[in-house]
Amino acid sequence: MPFLEKFYTTILFLLEGLGVTVSVTVIALAVGFVLGVLMAVLRVYGSRPLAALAAAYSVIVRAVPVVVTIFILYFVIASIINLTPFLAGALALGFASGAYQSEIFRGALQSVAPGQMTAARAIGMSRVQAIRHIILPQAVRLALPGWGNEATLVLKDSTLVFAVGVPEMLRRAQYVSSRTLEPFLAFGTAALLYLVLTMLTTFVLSRVEQRYRLLT
Amino acid sequence: MAEALPADIPLPDLSAPPLVRIEGVQKSFGATHVLKGINLSVYRRQVVVLVGPSGTGKSTLLRCINLLSPPDSGCIWLEEQEITAPGVNQDKVRQRIGMVFQDFNLFTHLTALENVTIGMTKVLGIKKPEAREKSMWELERVGLADRASHYPAQLSGGQKQRVAIARALGMDPHVMLFDEPTSALDPELTGEVLEVMQNLAFEGDTMIVVSHEMQFAREVADKIVFMEGGYVVEEGDPDEMFTNARTDRTREFLNKIADFGETKNKK
Repeated sequence: MPFLEKFYTTILFLLEGLGVTVSVTVIALAVGFVLGVLMAVLRVYGSRPLAALAAAYSVIVRAVPVVVTIFILYFVIASIINLTPFLAGALALGFASGAYQSEIFRGALQSVAPGQMTAARAIGMSRVQAIRHIILPQAVRLALPGWGNEATLVLKDSTLVFAVGVPEMLRRAQYVSSRTLEPFLAFGTAALLYLVLTMLTTFVLSRVEQRYRLLT
Repeated sequence: MAEALPADIPLPDLSAPPLVRIEGVQKSFGATHVLKGINLSVYRRQVVVLVGPSGTGKSTLLRCINLLSPPDSGCIWLEEQEITAPGVNQDKVRQRIGMVFQDFNLFTHLTALENVTIGMTKVLGIKKPEAREKSMWELERVGLADRASHYPAQLSGGQKQRVAIARALGMDPHVMLFDEPTSALDPELTGEVLEVMQNLAFEGDTMIVVSHEMQFAREVADKIVFMEGGYVVEEGDPDEMFTNARTDRTREFLNKIADFGETKNKK
C-alpha cells in the first residue's frame, strides 16, 4: 500500500476518535471552569474555612498526577456510583483542571481594582451581586490568556483517559500501531492531529480574547 | 459672587429635621484614631463642603455615612432612620446615597451607558428599555449623551467623572457624597465637573462634598465644615468662614488654600 493511502486510512481511523477527544476536552474544561471560578471566589471572598477548603483542593489536586485522579474516579468512585469510563475520565480531568483554573481565576480576581467593589457596593449592590455583575465579568476577561493555555493543556491531557480504555485518538493510534507495526505512521498522524487541534483552539481563543479585551 | 446667582435657587430646608444627622461618630483603623467624635447635620437641599488638611478624616466620614466603613461608635440617621442601628439592611441604605469617588471607579468592562443602567436593572429591578432611557437622560444631564457607547478607557478624566456622577444620579439618591471629585483631574478638566456639580446644587440636590476647590465652596456651598485631627473645628456660612473665621486654625488653613488656589489659577 502506498504511503499516502496508508496515511489516509490511518487519519480516517483516528478521526473516529476525534469526537471522543473533543467531548472529553469540552466536558473537562466546562467542569473545570465551574469548579475553578467557584473555588477562586471562595478563596478571595469566602469566609476563612471556605477559603481554606478551596486552597486545600487546589494544593492536593495539583500534587496528584492526573492519571491517578482518573484511576481513583474510575476504579474507586465508579464502583459505588455507576460511571462509564468516558464519564469517569472526563470528570476526573475536569476535577484536575478545576484546580489549575482556580489558580488562574484567583490571580484574575485579585487583579481587579479594589475600587470596582467599592463602587458596586456604593450603588447598593450586595457583595454577591457585586461579585457576579462587576468583579467576575472583569476577572474572566483578565483570565482569558492564561485560560487559553490551560485549554490546550487539557486537550492534550485528554489522551490520559486512554488509561481506562476510552477510545479517543491516542487509543486508536495504538490499535493502528499494533496492527500495522508502523508506530511512526500511527503516532505521527496522532501528533499531527493534536497539533492541528491545538492550533485551532489557540486561534479561536485569541479571537475571543481580542473581542472581550478590557480596555485600560 | 453668590449675589449674581438666579433668585430661585432652592434654599436648604432648615425647618424640617435634618436629612443626615451624625452624632458622636468615631472610627479607627488599627491603632489610628481617625474620627474622634463627629457631630454634623445636613438638611434637605443643603450643599455642605468639608474642608481641612489631608488625613483629617473627611473621606472616612463620607465612607461612614454610606456605611462603606461603618463607624465604630456613634450614630447616623438618614431621613430619621438610624442607619447605624443593628439589623439595618445596609445595601438598601446605600441605594439612597449616591457616591462619587476621587478616582472615578467606573466599571471598566461596561460602556458609559451600561455603567449607569447596571444599578437600575440589577439593584432597583427596572426593566432594561426603561433603564436605558433613564440612563440616556442622566448622561444628557452631565452633557455626555454622545459618549454613551464609549468605554471608560476611551473617555477623558473629566468625562469619566461626569459618567460617575450620572451613575450615582441614576439611582435617584436622596443625598450625594462627593469624595474629592476633582483631585485626580488636570486643572483644565476640573471646570466641567464642578459645573455639573453646581447644576445639581441649583436643582436642589442635597450634597456633601469633600473638596479643596475653594472657589466652588464659596460660590455653591450653603455651609462649610472645617475638619482637623478627627474633629469638626468650625462650621458656618461660606462668606463668614472665609472672611471672618472664629478660630485661628480655620483662618490659617483657608488663607493658605486660597493663596494656593490663586497661584495655581494664574499659571
